[in-house]
Amino acid sequence: MNTLIIVVFIIGYVLIALEHPIKINKTATAILTGVVCWTLFVFMEPSPVLLNSKAFTDFKDILSIERTEGEIAATPTDEIHKEFVSYELNEHLAAIAQILFFLLGAMTIVELVDAHRGFRYITDRIQTRNPQTLLWIVCFVTFFLSAILDNLTTSIVMVSLIRKLIPDKEMRLTFAGMIVIAANAGGAWTPIGDVTTTMLWIGGQVSTAAIMASLFIPSLICLLVPVIVLGFRLKGKTLQIAEPPHTTSEVKGGRLMLFLGVGALVSVPVFKTLTHLPPYLGMLCGLGILWVVSEVLHSGLDDVAKKNYTVAGALSRVDVPSVLFFLGILLAVGSLESMQLLNQFAAYLDRTLGDQRIIITLIGVMSAIVDNVPLVAASMGMYSLATYPTDHMIWEYLAYCAGTGGSILIIGSAAGVAVMGMEKVDFIWYLKKISVLALLGYLGGALVYVITHNVNT
Amino acid sequence: MELLIVAVFVAGYILIALEHPIRINKTATALLTGVICWTIFMVSGPTESLLHSTEYSELAQKSHATVSGAGADMEVHREYVIHSLREHLAEIAEILFFLMGAMTIVELVDSHRGFKLITDRIRTKNPKTLLWVICWVTFILSAILDNLTTTIVMVSLTRKLVANRDTRLFFAGLIVVAANAGGAWSPIGDVTTTMLWIGGQITASSIIKSLIIPSVVCMLVPLVFLSFTMKGTLGEGKTPGHDEKTPRTANLMLVVGVSALISVPVFKTLTHLPPYLGMMLGLGVLWVVSEIVNPDLDESEKKHFTAVHALSRIDMPSVLFFLGILLAVSSLQSMHLLQDFAVYLNDTVGDNRIIITLIGMLSAIVDNVPLVAASMGMYSMDVYPTDHLIWEYLAYCAGTGGSLLVIGSAAGVAAMGMEKIDFIWYVKKITLLAAVGYFAGAATYLFLTHI
Repeated sequence: MNTLIIVVFIIGYVLIALEHPIKINKTATAILTGVVCWTLFVFMEPSPVLLNSKAFTDFKDILSIERTEGEIAATPTDEIHKEFVSYELNEHLAAIAQILFFLLGAMTIVELVDAHRGFRYITDRIQTRNPQTLLWIVCFVTFFLSAILDNLTTSIVMVSLIRKLIPDKEMRLTFAGMIVIAANAGGAWTPIGDVTTTMLWIGGQVSTAAIMASLFIPSLICLLVPVIVLGFRLKGKTLQIAEPPHTTSEVKGGRLMLFLGVGALVSVPVFKTLTHLPPYLGMLCGLGILWVVSEVLHSGLDDVAKKNYTVAGALSRVDVPSVLFFLGILLAVGSLESMQLLNQFAAYLDRTLGDQRIIITLIGVMSAIVDNVPLVAASMGMYSLATYPTDHMIWEYLAYCAGTGGSILIIGSAAGVAVMGMEKVDFIWYLKKISVLALLGYLGGALVYVITHNVNT
Repeated sequence: MELLIVAVFVAGYILIALEHPIRINKTATALLTGVICWTIFMVSGPTESLLHSTEYSELAQKSHATVSGAGADMEVHREYVIHSLREHLAEIAEILFFLMGAMTIVELVDSHRGFKLITDRIRTKNPKTLLWVICWVTFILSAILDNLTTTIVMVSLTRKLVANRDTRLFFAGLIVVAANAGGAWSPIGDVTTTMLWIGGQITASSIIKSLIIPSVVCMLVPLVFLSFTMKGTLGEGKTPGHDEKTPRTANLMLVVGVSALISVPVFKTLTHLPPYLGMMLGLGVLWVVSEIVNPDLDESEKKHFTAVHALSRIDMPSVLFFLGILLAVSSLQSMHLLQDFAVYLNDTVGDNRIIITLIGMLSAIVDNVPLVAASMGMYSMDVYPTDHLIWEYLAYCAGTGGSLLVIGSAAGVAAMGMEKIDFIWYVKKITLLAAVGYFAGAATYLFLTHI
């Protein structure tokens, strides 16, 4: 039965990776995989490994609070197994829901600021005509923007900017590739910048201050190496002058919404530190405030004109399919975790590869091919917090590797896929021109992290 | 601090009720209320009555073994708050993902014009016959779909069939009554019944058995009365809508969609897994079907018929509203305020049945979701087991009581928006009928369970 579930999981995974050729949306596949895995788990005969695992004995301890020893002994193992499955599913759902409501809130805030054209106050300031200077500016703006916003939005904002600034197609593609690298690198070092780092933060594996202190320099290196290499190539080239960006009309309150939106996002970690409540509540609080402000701001407009600038309008543009994709894939990974399969896999990896740093580096490279969210979820299930406490090296290194490894291939990250869609970046073109740069940056940053943390410990 | 939280909750509630005059969307208010309640609860420390509750002292005993000294009490309190918030979040997430799945399935069927296959069959020209047909179709449709969608589908149908506006308003009013009555008796027909079902307070087969007759009575009383008194004609309608082309996939999507919805209770019974997983399974299947059913269309034509597009049209603000308001109610529950309130009500009012009847009437003014969530927190499952009378009666009252006012239910608000129904007009013409239906159904239920 274990084998069957693994087969289902792998088939699901393959179908998700083949989303485009087979033309089945990956969200549908992910949802079905998640549900089928749990259904099989309920019906399966519990394996001896599962029955003797710590999770299962812990569950029996919980049962013994409400029932007497005799009652538990009288219940058939089958019944206890079913209850165990429900209990585990409930635990996973609580963990998953925290991540999804967090994401939903963050995405809505960003959409709302964008609807007010708030990001134009940043992008309008970039006016230089020197390609080298422009590369540095674009990369650094992307890097810091994606530390606050999600990688996807950042790359969309920045790519639409370079469309206005760079008419030359070949040059623009190079810039687009660098935006992908910068967005992924920038997301890795903050708890709110990237889904995988956020997952580790919400799960309690990393803390805000520590992750920023340890990963800032590696992430920066990960970006700097490609920028410097590419800078040499761009030397002496000139940029064709683009048409002056035609100004689309400003929206009332754009500046205010930008401040409030960024303020709301940045204050989520502060909220967590002050109240000890989970981060998604902070995010929802920020969303509530922004929502009220946007309604008050446009109270003069009639309902139809208002629609574009309200949260209701923003919510209809939020990427809900992604949210459901995460729900499906995280449920599927959760089922493997509850079956204790991930533990066993981690033990197997430890025996064969030995060093965890090698394992995690490989996980990062793998995230260029498969989605990094389930990879991180699986790693969180593989290694227990009891053995590897909060801010342990493996968590921080995992945040770095899973966050930046996706840049190696264009399909390896949400940012890459968005850019591919917007600029029609070719898979092979990216492989030839950008992949090597991204790989150098990835390994450079990884090396810096490993060296600095060997000295400390 | 109990007072403070109650004050925040009441203030939030008032702002939600005053959504339209103050022009602040109720979802924003609900989210803020939920977050503020939990924040106050977390930072202010345990209350007297909480300290004496069994759950709290059990946790304290366990934790005191590990933490001690100054600040240990606060440590225990934090742990308790985080723990109960997590429990509540899991429950809330079950409801919300269930709703999102259901809404997407309905939206997806609608984008393939699946419901036209049903509505196109209604062709009668006699106003009374038409009223009967429409009410029954609404009643049965809303047992499967949510009330909101049913109302929207049926009201847009009457627009095509009934040209005379005065007559049409009566139709719209009765559609609201029928949609609410139809939702109450099926576990998938209505948010509040669904909540009770997901929470394990009721089971699918027994709620259908106990509530179907009271719900029918609740609709029939106004319907019979109105079919005797209603005057006026349908008016000269345009030729009923053959204006839009029905995609050839409509049939298939309707069948798959409706079977996905209906098989959710079956899935639960077979696997013992929570209903939202069954809903997600149905959504996944329908999603795949919708992708492979139109292989020859290009991307841009296909876009309207995909689940991605359907997801952009579902009512996400409502989902977040439920998240906010359910979080707020659950904070009151974790503080044991609801249990205290239930004891107080029992002491003063006495009979549970009277209390629940009042809750139903109250749901015409305030949203029925928090009312039911609060009632679920007030009465414990230890005292009132699954399928106990109070849960079934609560499902009936909270589901149908909202028909008393046009603003009392999602169906009413939708009909109000679509047909510009006046609040006062509804009070004069429909409220009394709805009230008679409500009490008749309630009496039927109480009578049937007594024998």
